[in-house]
Amino acid sequence: MDDSKAHLTESIGETAHPTTQSAVASPAAPELANLLTHEDVDRARDRWEVARARSKGGRFKKIANVRLLWLLVGPGVLVFLGENDAPSMLSYSADGSRFGIGFFIPFVVLTFVMGFIVQEMTVRLGAVTHRGHAELIFDRFGKFWGFFSMGDLVLGNFLTLITEFIGVRAGLGFFGVRPSIAVGGALLIVVAAITTGRYWTWERITLSLAIFNGLFIPAAILARPDWHAVGHAMVTWMPLPHGNRYEILVMILATIGATVTPWMLFFQQSAVVDKGMQPRDINAGRFDTALGALLAAVFAIAAILATTPLFHHGINAADFQGAQFAEALEPLIGHLGAALFALGIFEAGIVAAIAISTSSAYAFGEVLQTGHSLNRPLREAWPFYLTLLGSASAAAALVLLPRFPLEFVVLTVNVIAVLAMPPALAFLLLLVNDPEVMGEHVNGFWANVAGVTVTILLICAGLGFGLATVFPKWLGG
Amino acid sequence: MNSDYARAAESHREVDETAPDSKQITLKDPRAVLSMLEVDQVVAAKRRTHFGRQRLSLRTRVLLWCLRVYVVLMLVIVAISVVRALHPGR
Repeated sequence: MDDSKAHLTESIGETAHPTTQSAVASPAAPELANLLTHEDVDRARDRWEVARARSKGGRFKKIANVRLLWLLVGPGVLVFLGENDAPSMLSYSADGSRFGIGFFIPFVVLTFVMGFIVQEMTVRLGAVTHRGHAELIFDRFGKFWGFFSMGDLVLGNFLTLITEFIGVRAGLGFFGVRPSIAVGGALLIVVAAITTGRYWTWERITLSLAIFNGLFIPAAILARPDWHAVGHAMVTWMPLPHGNRYEILVMILATIGATVTPWMLFFQQSAVVDKGMQPRDINAGRFDTALGALLAAVFAIAAILATTPLFHHGINAADFQGAQFAEALEPLIGHLGAALFALGIFEAGIVAAIAISTSSAYAFGEVLQTGHSLNRPLREAWPFYLTLLGSASAAAALVLLPRFPLEFVVLTVNVIAVLAMPPALAFLLLLVNDPEVMGEHVNGFWANVAGVTVTILLICAGLGFGLATVFPKWLGG
Repeated sequence: MNSDYARAAESHREVDETAPDSKQITLKDPRAVLSMLEVDQVVAAKRRTHFGRQRLSLRTRVLLWCLRVYVVLMLVIVAISVVRALHPGR
């Protein structure tokens, strides 16, 4: 603890380590009251609701526990349903349409387990330090490594944002909506979500949109999948994909990139901080993250199942985009199924556009040390909102350019996400193993084994892709 | 930690009695605001304090540099693969 923190801590009557103490008001508290902001008040209100749910006992205990989870669930579900975005759902759809029911179904489950392992660490980091990921990287590793890390994030986020608007355009294109109206409407939804000036409201609006990711479930049911084959695949990982091995490798990489990406680390940690979560909420945060991973895995598998009729009918979906998938599915699973699929792609694009633009804005705010909270009004945190809207607007505008290489972006975005992930994971692991930052919540042995294993797997997948690209004959390409 | 939790719970109870509605938590009652937040959650505290720089060991620096080189090389490879995908003849 440095001098200024010690001074502040004394002013509110506390002396122990700040990451484990509640700021109990003391007679000296009014001194600090002048420094309180709108953001503090909103966060205190959220914490008050949590404290009230926690303090309930007796016969209302069970209801209070459900209410407590309802209050604390959010960042984990949002990050995973946000990552079930347009390019991710298209990756899953490509898996289903090209290889049917088999290897990719359990593989998707594995990727979400990997996702849970790394995202759980961000929950602890955020709840213990009350600082965003970018801020911690700059603080602990300095500007040099911080800017590298931000470079990866900015590039990845912007390319991904473009693909979200491609998804919006493609999804609504199935219903004959003009691209400018689809993209403009999506941008208005992003604006509407942030005009509330309250993290809690933003989170609930985005969650209520995100749950429509479940549209892929009825679409999958309408595709009448062979449930016996699904069970067999889950147990045996068979049949393995066959065909061009280089393309299979790219699809494996894209499927990993559909679940584990750098923006998720930055977003969830910042959202945990903005939500005001504390160390005592870590278990609820784990539940939130596990619930998000579970829902997202189910919806991802549904997307694979929804497109397996294309595989059974031998329809080549190699270069399909959102609307083309829906159009190709229409004669096979009916208009309703195809419409649900197209709406699912649209929803995936909208929710991810909100989450990813917010992730960029959080990171910029943390690095520039300006207000970076959805609890802040526009006048107090205009650079934060400007970054959020600026990145979303720029991505939306590019999608409408007549000769913009959309195909290029879609091809690369998930692969770039996987390749940028190992350095991001290295910083994450260094931070969660840092006792000065984490105190007693430092990573345990098995968390490190899991984290390092995920990192090594991602590096191996990336190296395999690199070798296969440089030496195509190696894989018979 | 248990004692910290107990103290936090105590403070929450105090507010429960004095502020029956969360809407009453306003800037006019800083005690209620502060009682709900940890020291490090207050924006003013966060602005004034930073975690110091971590001393990176040589092994850690080598690891970070290797990962950086890995990313740059991989981006070049992605560019190659995209060019090939967009222009199959090349």
